[in-house]
Amino acid sequence: MKNPLIKRIPKELVAEWHKYAVIVIFMVLMIGVVSGMYVGHDSLMATINAGPEELNLEDGCFELKKKASQELLDDLSKGDMADVRSYFIDKGTKEADEEVAKAIEENLNEEVTKAIEDAVREQCLAFGITDEQMIREQTDAALEEKLEDALEEARGSEDFQKAVEEAYSEAHEEVVKAVDEEWDETAKRYELDEEGFVPVPIKIYEHFYREEAEDNDNDGNRDATVRIFKSDSAIDKAAFIEGRAPETDSEIAIDRMHASNAGAGIGDSISIGGRKYEIVGLLSYVNYLTLHESNTDLMFDSFGFDVAMLTPSGFDRLSSRVHYEYSYKYPEKTDDKIELADRGNRLLKALITQTLVHDNEIEDFLPEYLRQASNFAPSDIDGDSTTTAVLCYVLIAVIAFIFAITINNTIEKEASVIGTLRASGYSRSELVVHYMTMPVIVTLFGALLGNVLGYTAFRNLMMSLYYESYSLPPCGFVWSRTALVKTTIIPLILMFFINLIVIVKKLQLSPLRFLRHDLATKKRSKAMRLPSWSFLSRFRLRILFQNIPNYIVLAFGVIFIELMMCFAFGLPDSLNNYGDKASEMMFAEYQYMLMSSRDSDNEVIETSEETAERFSAKTLLFPRNNDAKKMRAFGSGKDESVTVYGIADDSSYVSLASEGTYISSAFSEKYGLGAGDGISLHEEYENKSYDFTIAGVVDYDGAVAVFMDRKSFGERFDMDEDEFSGYFSQNEIKDIDEEYIATVITSDDMAKVTVQLMHSFGSVIDVFKYVLVVLAAALIYLLAKIIIERNEHSISMVKILGFLNGEIGSLYIRPTAVVVTLFAVAGFAAGYGLMLYLFKVIMLSMDGYFRFFMKPVSMVLSVVYLLIGYALVSVIDYFRIKKIPMDVALKNVE
Amino acid sequence: MKEDFLQISDLKKSFGSGEAKQDVLRGMDFTVKKGEFCVLLGPSGSGKSTLLNIIGGIDTPDSGYVSINGDKLEDMSEKQLTMYRRRHLGYVFQMYNLIPNLNVKENIEVGAYLSEKPLDVEEVIATLGLGEHKHKYPNQLSGGQQQRVSIGRAVVKNPDILMCDEPTGALDYKTSKEILALIEDCNNKFGSTVIMVTHNEAIKYMADHVIKLRDGVVRHNDINEKKIPAAELEW
Repeated sequence: MKNPLIKRIPKELVAEWHKYAVIVIFMVLMIGVVSGMYVGHDSLMATINAGPEELNLEDGCFELKKKASQELLDDLSKGDMADVRSYFIDKGTKEADEEVAKAIEENLNEEVTKAIEDAVREQCLAFGITDEQMIREQTDAALEEKLEDALEEARGSEDFQKAVEEAYSEAHEEVVKAVDEEWDETAKRYELDEEGFVPVPIKIYEHFYREEAEDNDNDGNRDATVRIFKSDSAIDKAAFIEGRAPETDSEIAIDRMHASNAGAGIGDSISIGGRKYEIVGLLSYVNYLTLHESNTDLMFDSFGFDVAMLTPSGFDRLSSRVHYEYSYKYPEKTDDKIELADRGNRLLKALITQTLVHDNEIEDFLPEYLRQASNFAPSDIDGDSTTTAVLCYVLIAVIAFIFAITINNTIEKEASVIGTLRASGYSRSELVVHYMTMPVIVTLFGALLGNVLGYTAFRNLMMSLYYESYSLPPCGFVWSRTALVKTTIIPLILMFFINLIVIVKKLQLSPLRFLRHDLATKKRSKAMRLPSWSFLSRFRLRILFQNIPNYIVLAFGVIFIELMMCFAFGLPDSLNNYGDKASEMMFAEYQYMLMSSRDSDNEVIETSEETAERFSAKTLLFPRNNDAKKMRAFGSGKDESVTVYGIADDSSYVSLASEGTYISSAFSEKYGLGAGDGISLHEEYENKSYDFTIAGVVDYDGAVAVFMDRKSFGERFDMDEDEFSGYFSQNEIKDIDEEYIATVITSDDMAKVTVQLMHSFGSVIDVFKYVLVVLAAALIYLLAKIIIERNEHSISMVKILGFLNGEIGSLYIRPTAVVVTLFAVAGFAAGYGLMLYLFKVIMLSMDGYFRFFMKPVSMVLSVVYLLIGYALVSVIDYFRIKKIPMDVALKNVE
Repeated sequence: MKEDFLQISDLKKSFGSGEAKQDVLRGMDFTVKKGEFCVLLGPSGSGKSTLLNIIGGIDTPDSGYVSINGDKLEDMSEKQLTMYRRRHLGYVFQMYNLIPNLNVKENIEVGAYLSEKPLDVEEVIATLGLGEHKHKYPNQLSGGQQQRVSIGRAVVKNPDILMCDEPTGALDYKTSKEILALIEDCNNKFGSTVIMVTHNEAIKYMADHVIKLRDGVVRHNDINEKKIPAAELEW
């Protein structure tokens, strides 16, 4: 015969349907979202992971200053280091030999000429000739007649041979010494002299690109920068979401995400570098899943940056400079990050040495595993599902505790029944199973329904979120076992064990103690004395003490919700704050970076713009600490890129208090640096580092930067006095030829992070806020319900005694109201603190700096939203109290 | 001669409908005078608890009325009924019905708070012999002590009517007599009208007025001329 107690379960479900409905909805939503994330994640990752193979993703790339010679490419393909030392010794020796030969010849000529002159003068004087004019004529004649023979004779002498040998030998020694000194330092820095260097053979592909101005709406204004590749590229190919690759010179395929943001589609025309093109394809390049213009960019920018494809001849028609980028692939594939890092390091050594000996320069080197544009999206998708899953588990644990408290209450209420059943022979485990059934059934139901939604509606919702931000290739559907396991098994385990522990502990007591309602595990000798407050206040305080376990669970829930609130309010606030301050973050309205300070005629590039002011700039690296390096989920993973500025004296754009090195407030805040601290910055591909002592902090949040006056800058970086990097200007500079301008930075560029992130998350964040209110209300509803149910008998009693509903409400609702308010404020403080910390940790691993900011009104709203959720619950509670009948107290229960 | 204080007139009440309809009160009439100690005596199912609930304003009759001091309960709104209980009634239950998370003193204060003319809480505690227990929670007290607290909560209001529903039903003989003596004291000392529901025949001897109920009607309505003190009761 089946355990008859099982019949209680459906009855309990019907009787308490609203409570279970709240729990089930709560679970279905949470599990549905997480399941949707996992299914979406697995589908997207399957597509992303197939990309490298199908679209021939590079293992890395490097850009050279000029087109590589075939010899350089051949040597690089072998992956071995060049013998730089020998190369420089050979080169130095050759130069030294030439110089020594020249010096010897000059010296010999001088010596022999002098000897002839002296001999002629002596002979003249012996003949009594003193006239200088005559002596000069005799000398010239003698030189013309004998010099060559004399020189020949001298060259043949033993002394001369010996002297020449010594001079060469000395010069050669000097060369070796000088090369060795330089080599030792360079070798030490790049570890070039390691024993047993293992070459890294690579296959090299030309992957040249050009960057042009893109005009989406053909209004003559630049809307974005477009990086253009050729359609016949054998490496880093594109997947087409719509349309096809260009076939004629006037056709173009552009990034789908950018096209969507720009409002452009197939058949539309856009202007690139002044020419019109018809869009024939919307693509996703395998190495541009996010549109990061530079690997050190804080955020991708699918508005202001685009990648595109032209036919090879279309590419050649463009006039902007060619970026000589070469992509490479290793013959043997590996996913091991350590192995990849090792290969990258070895290849860099080969690249540094080979470019030196082949008279070229490295402009950029980027192994694929460090490329933000291809790694940001997968790591973000991975991170999102992990974070959401953790949040889901926290909430399910909270629900499990709520369940446990409810069951605890039921056990107390049914103590005499349990005592009777136990006395009649029911085993403890039978009762444990009975009380465990409900949470397990509800969780199972919630998990299954959640998964159904996760595989359907939520999966599409989650994927559309990613497609709104990233340039992802077309994605298929993948069944995710992870989703099923993580969103069913883990919640079940959490629910099972939390309840099991609580129920087993409660049912440990003897049947007699159940029959006597003696369920307190600790005997209280006396009630806690309360201060002599009014009776009602003491009454409320007692209720508060009675429900401490509920309030502890509530505290966790509230802190969790407030943390989410801080995120929901703080992220848009921080973005808007950054956007609002973008103009303040600019030294000037326009910042022109020039290719060089001189034009092709070697004339200094000048402007007639009155507000223009010269500055010098240089990018160096600041070493990150090890902790930040470990967090490679975000950022380029390299050292922090720092822009060092040389500022004009009495600058109208940046004011430096006195001489010395200043850092930007962003730099100061990010790394906790201040006046008096020392920093060491180093070049990326050269063996040079520079030490500075910070004189002060300049209020500038726009970038991690260092400032000094131009004179000090020139001295420090060995630059001529009239050399500079660009102009700050309040107005647009129109009289500098575009070919000399490398980049122009305006406040729009600074705000691109804001625009991008608001586009990606803006609408979701608003929905998220309301979901949080509902979440808060649901949590408090469940806990407040327990408090009232627990006191149902007392409430009924005081009703009989003559308490009014309002008074009872104030007794039983107000303590929770006070607690919720206090928790909301404290939870906000905790959530805010936690958010500041999390933001800082994430920022340390990223390039650049972005301050977490919340408007005071948002802070208030974070608390108010939760209280609104509670207000809804307290109205329900009031009616619940009102509905408690008086006969509850009249029933003769023991 | 004491005046009539509580008037019960042709009170009828039934539960259920159709064949399952059960008439619990079938036309009940009696009056209780002010300050009287009235015992409603009857076996299970005689309707005494239903009658007490209707007098207490927590249940309503199908017909007939209850009037207190001339005010008919049927004319009162729910709020007025609450105020009626608040101002005029004190309740003592068989199972004490104390608030578990309030200590002894606070449970008595629950009554004091409701009254416009409460007695001194400490004095009531002392009278009930609860001085040394006043900071304990109900579950730390014996049944008799809990019933004392329940009486304290009722009498501290200085109520016009003290309603007692089987106050000794869960107590042993000795404790029961102590509790009855306490209720008797309150009746004498504060002049409250006491209406006590019981099935214990012996208690009728300490009452001024004994109303015997059976099957929903009054079978006997007697004035006890020779009442004896609670301490002398035997059963």
